This record gives sequence, C-alpha cells and structure tokens, in this order.
Amino acid sequence: MPPAGIWIDGLAQSCTYMTMAFGMVLVFSILGILNWAHGQFYMLGSILLYYAITAAGIPFPAGLLLAGLGMALLGIIVKVVIIDRVEGELYVGAATLALIFFFEGLASLLFGMQDRGLSMVLPGVLEMGGLSVSYQKVAVIVFTLVVMVVMYYVLHFTRMGKAIRAVSQNPDAASLYGISVERLSLVVMGIGCALAAMAGGIMAPVYPVNPFIGRAPMIMALLAIVIGGLGSLSGAIVGGLILGFLHSVIAYYLSYLAEVVLFVLVIIILLVKPQGLFGASIK
Amino acid sequence: MKKQKFNFTILMVVFMFLAVSAVFTTTAFAEEPTVIKIGNISPLSGPAGPWGQAPMPGYDAFIAAMNKEGVVVNGKKYVFKLISVDDQNSPEGGARAAKRLIYEEKVKFILGHWSWNFPSVAAVTNPAKVILMTRTGNEAVPGGAYTPKKMPYTVFGTPSHERFISSIFALVKAYPDYSKVGISDSTLGKGIGWDYVDRELAKAGIRFHHEWYPPGTQDFTPYITRFKEAGCDIVFGGGDVMAAMLILKQRWEMGYKDWKIGTAGAMLDPKMYIGVSGMEASQGFISQYDANWNFKKTIVNPKYVKMCQTVQKMASDAIGKPYNYTGWIEWVPAHLQILVQAMQKANTVDDTAAIMKAIRGGTFDTVSGKYTMSGKKTYGAAVVFGNPGVMSQIKGDKEVYFSESPWTPIP
Amino acid sequence: MMQFFKTIHLMDYKNIVPKLVIGLVVAAIVLLPVVTKDVVILSMLIFSGLWAVAAMGFTLVLRTGQFSLGQSAFMAIGGYTCAILTVQMDFPFWPSFLLSGIISGLVAFLLGVVVLRVGGIYFSIITLALGEIVRIIALNWESVTRGSRGLVTSSPLPISIFGWELANFDASPVPYFYFMLCLVAITGVVFWRIGDSRLGQIFAGVALNPELAEHQGIHLMKYRIIAFTIAGVFTGYAGALYTHFLTVITPMVFGLWQSIQAMIMSIVGGISSLVGGPIIGGVLLYGLGDRLSRLQTPGLSQMVFGATVVLVLICLPKGTGLVELWDKFWKKVVWREVEYEHDEMED
Repeated sequence: MPPAGIWIDGLAQSCTYMTMAFGMVLVFSILGILNWAHGQFYMLGSILLYYAITAAGIPFPAGLLLAGLGMALLGIIVKVVIIDRVEGELYVGAATLALIFFFEGLASLLFGMQDRGLSMVLPGVLEMGGLSVSYQKVAVIVFTLVVMVVMYYVLHFTRMGKAIRAVSQNPDAASLYGISVERLSLVVMGIGCALAAMAGGIMAPVYPVNPFIGRAPMIMALLAIVIGGLGSLSGAIVGGLILGFLHSVIAYYLSYLAEVVLFVLVIIILLVKPQGLFGASIK
Repeated sequence: MKKQKFNFTILMVVFMFLAVSAVFTTTAFAEEPTVIKIGNISPLSGPAGPWGQAPMPGYDAFIAAMNKEGVVVNGKKYVFKLISVDDQNSPEGGARAAKRLIYEEKVKFILGHWSWNFPSVAAVTNPAKVILMTRTGNEAVPGGAYTPKKMPYTVFGTPSHERFISSIFALVKAYPDYSKVGISDSTLGKGIGWDYVDRELAKAGIRFHHEWYPPGTQDFTPYITRFKEAGCDIVFGGGDVMAAMLILKQRWEMGYKDWKIGTAGAMLDPKMYIGVSGMEASQGFISQYDANWNFKKTIVNPKYVKMCQTVQKMASDAIGKPYNYTGWIEWVPAHLQILVQAMQKANTVDDTAAIMKAIRGGTFDTVSGKYTMSGKKTYGAAVVFGNPGVMSQIKGDKEVYFSESPWTPIP
Repeated sequence: MMQFFKTIHLMDYKNIVPKLVIGLVVAAIVLLPVVTKDVVILSMLIFSGLWAVAAMGFTLVLRTGQFSLGQSAFMAIGGYTCAILTVQMDFPFWPSFLLSGIISGLVAFLLGVVVLRVGGIYFSIITLALGEIVRIIALNWESVTRGSRGLVTSSPLPISIFGWELANFDASPVPYFYFMLCLVAITGVVFWRIGDSRLGQIFAGVALNPELAEHQGIHLMKYRIIAFTIAGVFTGYAGALYTHFLTVITPMVFGLWQSIQAMIMSIVGGISSLVGGPIIGGVLLYGLGDRLSRLQTPGLSQMVFGATVVLVLICLPKGTGLVELWDKFWKKVVWREVEYEHDEMED
C-alpha cells in the first residue's frame, strides 16, 4: 500500500485530467469533433493568468475567471473563423492540429520560451498529522469539485444544460424542438475552452508556465476520455480518476516504467472494452 | 555612464562598418581584417530553446571583444562572425543546420552540438573537412558514437558525466555528514555514461541511490517518496532544469525542507527557480557554475578573467539590462581560443587538416584554464579535459560561488 | 492552332495534356541532380519524399476507415531494424534494408490482428499508445538501441560495375536521392495499383459504410489488416532509408509529433488520391517547414507553419485537399469548362 501522500498526489493529478477531459467530451458531444488544440487553451489560460497576476496585479480567483472568459472568447473565435469554415471531421482535425503549432509559436514569440512560475500564489503547506499537502494542490482539488458541481447543476437543472444533453443525444430531434444547435455549439465550445483555460490557470502555481505545457495534459485527457468511453461525461471523470491514480501509484512502485505500463493498460482496457468503460451515451 | 554607452555605440558602428567593408572589399587591402565565419548549431526554438538563446548575448559580446583587436594569423588580420542556426533540438534539424552552414554559408568551423545530435552533424561535417567543436565529449567516451578514423575533424568538450562526478565530489565535500545522495535523471540520459558514474562514485566510497523518471515528468511526488524511502537527503539531478525546479518545489511541499537539491549544468536564471519553486524552497539550490573569475582553486590566466568581466558588461549594455547568465563561458569562448591559437600555430585559416594537426596534443590557454589536448593518447583525437566541477548556490535572489572539486579524468 | 486542338481532341486531349505535364514534372525531378548537386536542396527533397511515403501509408490505412496515430512507429521499427542489423550484428546493408520493411510489416500484421477490430477514435488512441510504447522501448533498451544516444549507421558500400563507380553513398546525396525516388516510385505504383484494383474499391467500401460492407460479405478485418500491413511495410522502408541518410536513429526521431506531421501532410495533400495527395502534401509541407526554419525569431516559424496550414484548409474547397486543385485547375482555368455548380457556391 503506497503512503497517503501518493494517493493525494494522484487525486490532484486526476483533477487536471478530469477538467480537461470533461471540456473535450463536452465539445465532442455537441460539435462531433475532437479539438486537438484543447491543450493549447490550457497553456494560453495559464499564460493569461500569469500576466493577469504579475503585470496587472489581479487577484488569483479573479484572474482565473478572466483566463476562463478570455479563452472562451478565443474558443468561440476559433469555432467561427476556423472550425465552421472547414468541412469534414478529418479536415477540422487537421486544422486544429495545425493550431497547436500556431498557438505554441505565438506563445513563444510573445511570452518567451523560458519557464516562469507563480509560486507566490497560495504559498504554504497544509500539515495534517505527518502528512503535508500544499495549498496549491488543495486549491486544485477544491476547484475541480466546484467545477464538477457547477457543471452537474448546469447540465441537469438549467434550460441550456438540458438542451446540451438533448443535442448530444439526438441533434435532429433536438432541433425539431426549437433548439438552435448552431448557437448551442458556440456556447459549448466556449465552456470547453474555458474549462481547459481554468485547468491551466489552477495548475499554473503548481507547475512551471511555458508555451509547451499544453501537450502532456492534452494527451492524458485524450486517454482519459477514451478509457471512459467517448461521448460520456461520467466516463471522462472516471477515466481521469483512473489515469491520475494509476500514474502516481505505478510510478511509486515501478518508477520510470510507469509510463509504459500506463500505455499498455490503456491498450488492454480498450481491447477488453472496445467502446471504453462507459459506452457512448451521455448520462 | 551615458558617455560610455555613447562610445560603445560609436565603436559598434565602426566595427560594423569595418565588417561590412571587409565583406565587400575581400582581399584588396592586406591591412583590412578578413571575416572568418564560424557556424553555431543550437536549439533556438521549442522547449529546449531557452538553452540555445541564453548564452547568445555572451557569445556576441565575446566575439565583439575578440574582434576589437582582431586575430593575427601569418601576418594578416582576421575578425570572426558567428552564424547561429536553429536545429530544433533534433538530429534531423542538426544535420539540416550543418548542411546549410557548410554548403550555403561556406563555413569551415562549426561549434556545437548537444550530444544526441552529434552523430548526424558529424556525418555532415567530416566528409566536408569542416572542424566540428562539440559542446560535450559524451560521445568520446569508450562505447560512444565517435570513431576516430571516420571523424578526424572533431574536437570534443568535457564529457558531462565527468563534470557530474566532480560535482558530486564537490557536493559531498561541502556536506560531509550527508546520509545518501539521490541521483535523478530522465531516461534520456541512460547509458554507458551513468555506468561509469556509478563505478567512480562507488570507488570513492560515496553513498548514493539512482532514480530514473520518464522525460517530461512534472509530478515528482512518487520519485521523492522513493528517494525518502532509500534514505537520501541530497538530490542531485542530471541537468534537467524543469525536473530540478519541480523536485525543489515538491520536496518542500512534502515537508523534506532540509534536503539539499541541485542539478548538473549551469543555472539559467535564479529568478526562474524562485518564480517556479518559491523563494523559501529555492534557497540553497545548487548548480554548476561557469563564471570562472573567482574560482578558489582553479588557475585561469588573469588576462582572461578580466576579459570575461568586460564581456559580461558589454553583453549587459547590448541587451539593456543586467546579463547575469554565465553559462556562455562554458564552451564557445574556450573553443574559439583553441581554434585561434591552433590557427596561429598552423599559420593558416583555411587549411582545416593543418589546424586539426595543431589542435591534437597542443597546449592552449583559454578562459576555462590551460589545457593540453589529449591527442592520440586517449581516443585518437583531440579531447578537452580539465573543466573543474565548480558549484554555485542560490542565496536570496542571487547566484553565488559555493564550492569546487578538482577533476578526475578518465584514465 | 485550332486544327491542332481538334486532332488532339480525338485522342481525348483533356486527359492527355495534364498527364503529359505530370510526366514532364516527374522527368524534371528525376533529372534534377544533373542540373544541381546542391546538398541542401537534395537533402530537403530526400526527407520530404520519405515523409510522403509515410503519408501514403497513413492514407491507405485511412482508406479502410481507420485513423492511425502511430504511423511513425513503423518508421521507427524499420529504422531500428536496419540499424540494429547493420550496427549491432554487422549484417551487410542490402539484406538488412530488405528485412527492415518485412519486419515492420510483420509487426503491423501481428498488431493489426489484435487491435484492428477496435474502430474509430479507439483505434487511433491504441496506435498512439503503441507509438509511444515503441519510443519508450527504444529509449530504455540501451543494450540494443543505445537509448537516447541512438544507433549510428554507416552508408551502404559504393556500388560499382566493372570498376566503374555507379553510386558512392558517402560522397554526395545523389545516390540517396535516386534511392528515395525508387522507394517513392515503387510505393506509388503499388498503392496506385491497389487504388485501381478491386481491393481498392473494397477499401473504399469498407470506409464508406462498414456495416453495409460487412453485410455484403466483405470481411472487414481481413481488408483492414491487408491495408495496415502494406502501409507498415513501406513506412518501414522509408524509416530505414531515413535512418541511413541521417546516419543516426534515436527515440526522438520518430514520435507522436512525427505521426501528426505525416497525418497533416496526408490530409492537406488530399486523401482522395493514394499517391498524388501524400506526395504533394509531403513535398510542400516539408519544404515549407524547411524554409521556415530559417527564420531567426524563435516561435515565428511554428506560428507561420500553423497559420499556413489552417489558411490552406479554410481556402480549399470543402472537404478536399491540394490534389483536387489539379483537376480543378485544368477544368476551370485551362479548359474553362462550364459545369453545373453544386450547392457549394451557396456560402
């Protein structure tokens, strides 16, 4: 049995994956495309937050919301300017892949390639009987819980949320009931990108900020949603949890071999359950 | 202060004028300095970009300082021009950069490269009889990619594993009552070099524990826990800055505040560590130190100590803010000085075979100390040995001299 | 002049003239080393040709409805096979080269049998994971692959006939250039034949409607495995040649980002053609990347590359790649044909 520190660390890890994966699945279920540049919204979110705090002196929670709003706007622009004008799943995929290079280049140009950090945000360590967890990690866990509760509320108890669920289950039928799929997809793209940006923002004090930090969480989120079952929101959460815990626990036992074990496990899960753990329906 | 800057600008303008006129007038006048192009292959973009960019102001200022007097070979005056090309930190990019330098820019000397691009760059430079002066000598150790017969136009820097060993010696000397040294490196570094490190450390009776992590790891909690369980209280990494910053931060958060953390390789910028890891957590962080003018044990020609200080000031003036990074001294200046002295010995600036002959077994006085190149004795070609393991430490928001240990080269 | 066009008309000039132009371009490329022996240009063309082969492999797999994210893993397998055989086991180059594609194809076949029954994005993720596993194995199995330091290969021995040196691989990139052209040509002919044959039609059917194809008695798995294996063989050869031209293979040479590169080349080039699209995409995009890497400002080259690809995708007619522009160019610009406009003009 690994020490408690490893479990808490695994939880903090899964939180990022969950938020990222949740946004990706949401976009996928309405737009029917995978946004490959999702990780770059994570990166841009943390860079925006970095500037909001260091240059403008905005407090952290407000900066986090600002990063979310800013990236939601950028996501909507990307949706209108690029995704809507390119037709076919494949071509949209290629366009969002090309956006990775664009955003990373842009960020290197404006932000520089050097690592920067926000360690001054929420400094200090929470001591709990021999176990110490940084406030930054606590913030990540609390933030993710809040996001999950809010998203649950939005999806189940608001008109828009119900519309989102309806469209993801059956777009044609939903449009017959007067739901504008077009407008809804803009909103969903905004929410998805905002989630990615806020995940990047909440992780900015934990890990360094540079133009290339978006790649790893993007891949992990992709693995999470596929393990969970594409199109399933609860699947994304479970997938994120599994990956986060596996990553920490296996690394504790096997150190560097953890990476390969993780990929082998993903393959095995997909071979045993070819539709992911939670099938393909939105719950 | 203002006047000084003004003078410098005039100087730069004059120099630029001279350089430009030198290009256009070629060899019409014997007194006009001729430009010798030097290629520099470095990662200038992408995740490794900061490492290629950081020393650039230092290189530029150093070459400007050298050019002020010019280099006299065989009675003729020459100046240098550094042409830097991005290799995107990949073997393919390295080969592309080398081809561009050799066949488009017509350079005869290339400075570079990081060890994992060495084979692809060497495969381009050697057939073209272009001298490649590499940053490290990692491929020169037995079992490396270096084959003397096929790569006669290669000059190596110090193998980083040897620097690593002397750093550990320096570290252990500074903290004699340590319980165990944890050595962390990404799996990118695995290979014969580390076997050699392990052997040497065991021979010296140093207690250590090795831990590998996949490249790009950000969450070090499992690895720090493993170090803890192995009984380590010093963790010294293999030059991966991101990992060093994160171990520094995460061990602090996990409550192992008295652990000493360090990394091989120069410190890019103390402010970066403070920003990422926190002010308190980064106090006492240890890294290799390349600024050589206040070493305690190493003897460097005072002329060069002064030169480096001047260059540091010139670089600060050129970029308009204090330039504190000292890693630039590590190899380009020393290699350039070797090259110049070899050119003077060989009495030629373009016969690379003669220059190589002068480099092998020759003794050179450089900014990093006086070396005798190993010649045929070690690996059949020139290999530089002699960089001492000098360490620095973060104190407040500054990088200060910490300790050093003399060198133990491969027999 | 009119008379001339009229005679040609009998021979279906609209079909022949574009083909003639393609023939001339191919001839020009084949004869390029006669005009220039510039190492920089030839190297760029060699690399872009090899990436084009990888893109062709991706397109072939895509034709059967499978979106592979691990195509560069087969380049790595081919490259490592050839390098391990020649460097670690002292095999001569040519048999090792032949084996490299066969082993890569074999691996593709064995993997295909297991993983191809999974479809859609799940297959993509499995191939992504496989690509990463290949990279991690190459990184950690130092005794065979030398880890991150990579295996250093040497060029094939010079080929000489009756004392006359035909090809010296060490002296210039020209022999490699023709070697690459041969590989691209063989791959192109094989893929073109597949595209035209019944097999190609079955592939298209499998991609268009897997359920219907299955209903009509087409064994889905069988054809997917065939396509995956063929793609594996040729991608493996491309990897082996790449390794020998670069003289080194390290785990960083072929990874996820290289798979993505091949994928973008294939899609931008156009997936309607198994041969033309990937070649156009490979040469243009690799050439673009190569040119852009000259920009000194860090980040600018990646930014311009990404922006160019996005712009091309926006400006191209919906759902087509660059290769379709060729037909359009002749029909609209040269022959000025009036055709029924589809609803694509609406927006």
